[in-house]
Amino acid sequence: MVFTAGRPAARRSPRRRKALVLAGAAAALAVAAAGCGTSATPAASAKSTTVINAIGAENEYANVLAQIGGKYVHVSSILNNPATDPHTYESSPSVAQEVSSAQLIVQNGVGYDTFMNKMESASPNASRKLIVVQHVLGLPDSTANPHLWYDPKTMPAVAKAMAAELSALQPAHKTYFQANLKAFDASLAPLNSAIAQFKAKYPGTTAATTEPVADYLLQAMGIKNLTPFSFQADIMNGVDPSPQDISLENGFFAQHTAKVFAYNQQVVDALTTSIRQAAQRAGIPVVGVYETMPTPGYRYQSWMLAEVHAIQKAVVSKISTQRL
Amino acid sequence: MHQLWTWVFEPGFFSSAPVRVAAVTGGVAAVVSAVTGVFTVMRGQSFGGHALGDVSAAGGSGALLVGLNPLLGFVGLGIIGAGVMDTIGVRRVRGRDLATGIVLGAAIGLSALFLYLTSVSGATTGAPAQILFGSIFTITSATIPAVVILSVIAVASIAAVWRPLLLSSVSPDLAAARGVPVRLVGLLYMLALAVSVGLSSLAVGAILSTALLIGPAATALRLTRTVGWALAVACLLGAGATWLGILLAYDSYYWSAAHQGLPVSFFIVAVIFAGYLFSGFPAARAAAGRRDAAVPPPASPAHEKIAA
Repeated sequence: MVFTAGRPAARRSPRRRKALVLAGAAAALAVAAAGCGTSATPAASAKSTTVINAIGAENEYANVLAQIGGKYVHVSSILNNPATDPHTYESSPSVAQEVSSAQLIVQNGVGYDTFMNKMESASPNASRKLIVVQHVLGLPDSTANPHLWYDPKTMPAVAKAMAAELSALQPAHKTYFQANLKAFDASLAPLNSAIAQFKAKYPGTTAATTEPVADYLLQAMGIKNLTPFSFQADIMNGVDPSPQDISLENGFFAQHTAKVFAYNQQVVDALTTSIRQAAQRAGIPVVGVYETMPTPGYRYQSWMLAEVHAIQKAVVSKISTQRL
Repeated sequence: MHQLWTWVFEPGFFSSAPVRVAAVTGGVAAVVSAVTGVFTVMRGQSFGGHALGDVSAAGGSGALLVGLNPLLGFVGLGIIGAGVMDTIGVRRVRGRDLATGIVLGAAIGLSALFLYLTSVSGATTGAPAQILFGSIFTITSATIPAVVILSVIAVASIAAVWRPLLLSSVSPDLAAARGVPVRLVGLLYMLALAVSVGLSSLAVGAILSTALLIGPAATALRLTRTVGWALAVACLLGAGATWLGILLAYDSYYWSAAHQGLPVSFFIVAVIFAGYLFSGFPAARAAAGRRDAAVPPPASPAHEKIAA
C-alpha cells in the first residue's frame, strides 16, 4: 500500500510527501512490532502430547537427556559443532524459537551458556522445566572451571535430575525413565573402572594443558596439571597469557616434565598451535580434548572412555591421539 | 642496588623468549611508525593514519579467517586502502575527512564481518582482541624476518623521496610549483604509512596503531625545532615507550596474587600519552626553545622546519 502510493506522491506538495513517508515508516514499524509479537508466542503448543520437547544446550547433555527420555522425548542441542569454540557462540532467531517451545531445558551454567538465560527470559514460560547443572551440583557462580561434564561425578547427578523432571512432565512414564536412568548409571561402569585403574596404576602422572576443558577428568585420574590456571583461563577467555606463563608452558615440554599434553581442539589459535608444535618437537604425546561431544559415533559414555583410553595410551606408550 | 634491579626487572625478563620477540618486533614497529609519523603529523593526516589502522584491521581479520599470518593481511589491505584513499582524494584538505571517514566505516564493517565469521567458523576465541588490541607476546620468532624486511621497505621509500616529501609536506603548492612530483611522492609516503601501520597493528593492535604512529612524532615535534631532531627523538620515544610498556606488562604479572598480567598494549599507549602530556609542560617547551635560542622564533613552525 505504501509503495503504490509512492509514485503519484512525487507530484504532490513536499509537505504531503513528507507526511506520506512518515506514515509509511510508521506502518513498517507496526508490521515489524507485530512480527516480533507473533514470533514470541510458542508455536508448538499444539504438538503431540506424548513427546516432550527438550533441549540440551550442549550436545553432551542432549545426548544423556535422549538416553534417559528415550522414545518419549525429542531432544535438540544448541552447541554441537566440534569445529567451533562454544565460548564465542551467538544465538540466532531459529534457536530462540526452539527455546521458547521447549518443555525441558538442560544447561551447564557457571557462565558457560548465559545466552540460554537471555533466550529463556525473552520467552517466559512458567511450566518449562529447567535443569542447570551448576545448581544440581551445588556449585557457586565463582566456580573457575565451567567444563563440568568432564567430571565423572557430574553426569550421574544430572541424569537423576533429568529422570525426575521427565517424570514430573509425564508421570505415566515414570518407571520407564527410572529404568533408563538405571541403565545409564550401569553403562558408566567401564568408564569409572578405567579411571580408577589408571589412578591406581600410574600415580604421580603430570600433564600440561592449554585450557581447563578436561581438568576435572585429569584430576579424577590422579593426574597433576602443571599448567598454571592463569594461563588456562587466559586461553579460555581469549586474552593473551603473560610471557611468564608462556615460557613456563613451553618449559614443561623442553624439560620433559609433562608426560601428556591435553590440547583443546575447539580453542585453537597461533599461540596454542605453536605450543602444540613445541610439545610434538619434544616428543610429548598430544591428546585432543573437546568442549562439545565429537559426533558422530559417540555417546557421552563412549566419548569419556575414549578420552581416558587416549590419555592412558599417551602416558604408557607415548602415542598421540590428536583427534578422537 | 641488586634489590632495585630485580624490582624494576622482575626475574626472567631478559631470558624470556616471548619478551625478546616482542622487544624486537615492537621496537622495529615503533621506529618505523615514528619515522612515518613525523610526516603524518606535519601533513595533518592523523585521521588518515587512524583510518589505515582500521583498514589493516579488516586485512588482519580476513587473514585470520582464511588461515594466513595476520601481518600479511595487516600490510596487504593497508596498502590497498592507502591506494583507495589516495584515489578518492586524501591529498585535498577540503573533503578529505569525508573520504577518510567513508573508508574507515567500510573497513570497520568488514572487520566486524571477518571477525564474526572467524569466531563462528573456526575454533578461535581471541581473534577480536588479537586484531584490535594486539598480541605482542604471542608473536613467534618466525615472523621477525618479515617484520624487518617490511620496515626496511618503509624506511627506504621515505628516504628515497626525503627532500621532496619534506617540501610537499610543508607546502604542497610550493612543491608543485618547484616541479616536485607531488602525487608520486604522496603515494610513496602512503605506502610507507600503510606498512608502518601494519607493523604497529601487529605490535599494539590495529586500533591502537594510531597511538604509536602519531604519539611519539607529535611529542618529538613539540620538543624539537628541526625535522632531523624530531625524527631522532620520535624514534627514541617510540622504541622507549614500547620497551617500557613491555617491561611494565611483564612486571604486572607479579602485582596480583593470581598472577594475572595486564595487557601490554595498554602500557605502551599509556607511556606514549604520558610523554605527550609532559612535553606540553611549559618547562619542557622552554627547554626546547632555549636549545635553539640562536634561531629567531619562526613565523610558522612548519616553514622553519623546512629551512633547517
